[in-house]
Amino acid sequence: MTTPTAIPAGKAVPPPRPSRLWVRAGWTAVLLVVLAAFWRVNIDWSQLSDFVPSLFHYLRLMFCPPAWSQTSAAFSATILSVQMAWIGSILGILISFPLSFLAARNVVPVWVRLPVRLVLAILRAVPEVVIAILILSVTGLTAWTGALALGIGSIGTLGKWGYESFESVSGGPLEAARATGGSRLAVIRWGLWPQAQPEVLAFWLYRFEISVRSSAILGLIGAGGIGKMLSDNTQYQNWNVVGILLIVVVVVTMIIDQISAVLRQRLITGRWALVGYGARRKALTPTGLA
Amino acid sequence: MTDRRPGTAGDPQIVFDGVGVTYPNGYRGLSDISLTIPAGQMVGVVGLSGAGKSTFVRTINGLVTATEGSLTVNGRDVTTARGKQLRAVRSDIGMVFQGFNLTGRTTVLNNVLMGRLYSAPWWRTLLGAWKSDDVELAMDALTRVEIVQKAYTRASELSGGQQQRVGIARALAQQPSIILADEPVASLDPPTSHVVMEHLRRINGELGVTVITNLHFLDLARKYSDRLLGLRGGHVVFDGTGADADETVFESIYGRSLTGEDVLDATPNLETS
Amino acid sequence: MSDVPAQPAQPRAARPPRPRRGATPWVIGIVLAAITVWAARGVQIDIPAIWQNFSNASGTLMQLFQPDYGFFPQTLSAIEETLMMAVIATAIGSLGSVPLAFLASRATNPSRALLAAIRFLNNVIRAVPDLLYAAVFVAVVGTGALSGVLALFFFNIGILVKLVSESLDGLDRGPQEAALAAGGTWFAADRVSMLPSVAPSFASQVLYTFEVNIRASTVIGLVGAGGLGVLIDNVRTFYHYHYLSLIILEILVLVLVVETASSMLRKQLAR
Repeated sequence: MTTPTAIPAGKAVPPPRPSRLWVRAGWTAVLLVVLAAFWRVNIDWSQLSDFVPSLFHYLRLMFCPPAWSQTSAAFSATILSVQMAWIGSILGILISFPLSFLAARNVVPVWVRLPVRLVLAILRAVPEVVIAILILSVTGLTAWTGALALGIGSIGTLGKWGYESFESVSGGPLEAARATGGSRLAVIRWGLWPQAQPEVLAFWLYRFEISVRSSAILGLIGAGGIGKMLSDNTQYQNWNVVGILLIVVVVVTMIIDQISAVLRQRLITGRWALVGYGARRKALTPTGLA
Repeated sequence: MTDRRPGTAGDPQIVFDGVGVTYPNGYRGLSDISLTIPAGQMVGVVGLSGAGKSTFVRTINGLVTATEGSLTVNGRDVTTARGKQLRAVRSDIGMVFQGFNLTGRTTVLNNVLMGRLYSAPWWRTLLGAWKSDDVELAMDALTRVEIVQKAYTRASELSGGQQQRVGIARALAQQPSIILADEPVASLDPPTSHVVMEHLRRINGELGVTVITNLHFLDLARKYSDRLLGLRGGHVVFDGTGADADETVFESIYGRSLTGEDVLDATPNLETS
Repeated sequence: MSDVPAQPAQPRAARPPRPRRGATPWVIGIVLAAITVWAARGVQIDIPAIWQNFSNASGTLMQLFQPDYGFFPQTLSAIEETLMMAVIATAIGSLGSVPLAFLASRATNPSRALLAAIRFLNNVIRAVPDLLYAAVFVAVVGTGALSGVLALFFFNIGILVKLVSESLDGLDRGPQEAALAAGGTWFAADRVSMLPSVAPSFASQVLYTFEVNIRASTVIGLVGAGGLGVLIDNVRTFYHYHYLSLIILEILVLVLVVETASSMLRKQLAR
């Protein structure tokens, strides 16, 4: 029989403080990198003292008042950007859709999957603007070039979201489809696709939202649309036109985001509802995004 | 329903001859199984989890490939069948799963139509453009399990017992001569379990379909089987009728004496669905 | 034994009516087709142009497969600038986003009016793409890394405030309630309860933002904001595709390395 050990009287002995050496080393390294960057970078930080006043100066030039007379021109330029984004998304969907099946673990063997995934990874890593610059040499400075660039650029992300949602389906219905004697195609169509369909459609819409933002950028290198109008006007310092352009871009982008969020909500949850901004909308975005 | 191929009752339908299964990781799932299941029999398979029940039923439709011996179903060799041949064997065997394995996001009818995947041409399955005959078969199957009113409901909106009846309807829509049921009631409460087992027994009795059911509970297996197979460690340790299965037999299957956990309930209640 | 009829094949009348989906799928299809036709006319889709110009362009495009590695030393300072812009912008962006994120979450900001205002402001900030910020800031402070850092800063605020406030929304609010019950102010309660809880996902989101910054900082130079983009703009003006090819290769390596490292770290954080 054991007797309880007597508790020693006197000062309580705290457990040793856990060693946080690695955490501290990590933070020190991060700090050093940041400090080095500040020290090395070719920036005259004293310029920042002028920045706030000059920002207000330019904001006043842009928005007090904006060139309302240019509203319809700005609007039609933005519409062209949206059209580029739409065509780009359609192209991206058409190409990425088969690819995402060819990259899914539960559809194809590893020797098919790996090369497809490599291509998707490369397409994700190259910025759309760079893709556009490359395509420029083929199709010239047109909105069509922009649409093509957006299409190619969206293949990478769409393909990845696609195969990730295919891989996350439950295996039960796949087994059931196999057990009925269904072919590989039948198993994909009736075991896999009905499970993944709502997410995949929602991701298409989400990618369109991203493409709307990117399409404004492509104009800056000459592919037409709002970006082109913006770079022309900043060049000639027509600040009040820049102001109206920014207003139109922001308004149109926010409207499209909201419509898309409502549609995605309908697709995934089956309900119509206004989607605010917060946890509920987060549930509608692909997992790869943080 | 026409065009059913149950075979003449009593004819040997499923023939195991020295069948063994070794999984790629070296795990021995089944060893040296030799037995014959005649057409129209209602077979209950019992044993502890890991005893090989699930492997046993899955070798019959080739979801698990037998690595030794030979297995014939309706005169066709399952062990060597591949591709189209294997799918032909499977189309004659319906399967009911423990987790129902329905696609919750689509309608009950679409789930049942999956039973027609083998016989419909590929473009019809791709487009979902089912022939009215196929829809008719699916509706008939749903009627048999008394859930046709839910045909256009999303499968996820049904209760567990209702989902399992849809699972049975999906198997029936194949017009199979055999139905395999892998722990069909393990996810259900006792009253619902009896309803599901009743449906399986009625299908066996009325349509002459051979039904092979894995069951965890001994009382259910005794009640709803013509023949009881006891598996332990991948071997068949008992093969007889429920009446033959006495206390010593249970000990040989379970390695211990019978406890309350091995039976479902004392008083079956068939009211609820 | 339940008393079910022996022959259950019932007349068809017992079946449920097929639900009328009506015209909805057709309407959706027609609307989508109409938008596509409208957009196609807008951008003037020209598929033959691709084939016609491809033979002319194939020569230049072939240069893409022959990167000129001799150009590498000249790109080093641009790579360094790209990295530094990304590091600085991530650092100041993540610091700046913390107070705004707390103000933008339902869980940490009791004032509904302020919450709505901050969220609206952040939606506006988010609606402007990175290169547009860069283009505007180049006009305001001149070309160079400063305009790039400022552009990335605003871009980061937009991303981080959204992501972090969403994480805050999803947190368990028990500890915060406890702190408020102990007599703390909202500020004190958020500081001791919500900040530590959100820290891991915040760190993960900062890493994600760094990935995004690397990608963005390689291209914002196209409008004059410093980094590799400036080089891209120079070589593309003169159609030096051997050089461009090398730069693209560098971007690929940079992005893939940073993404791999970051996703490994984020997996660690998720545990």
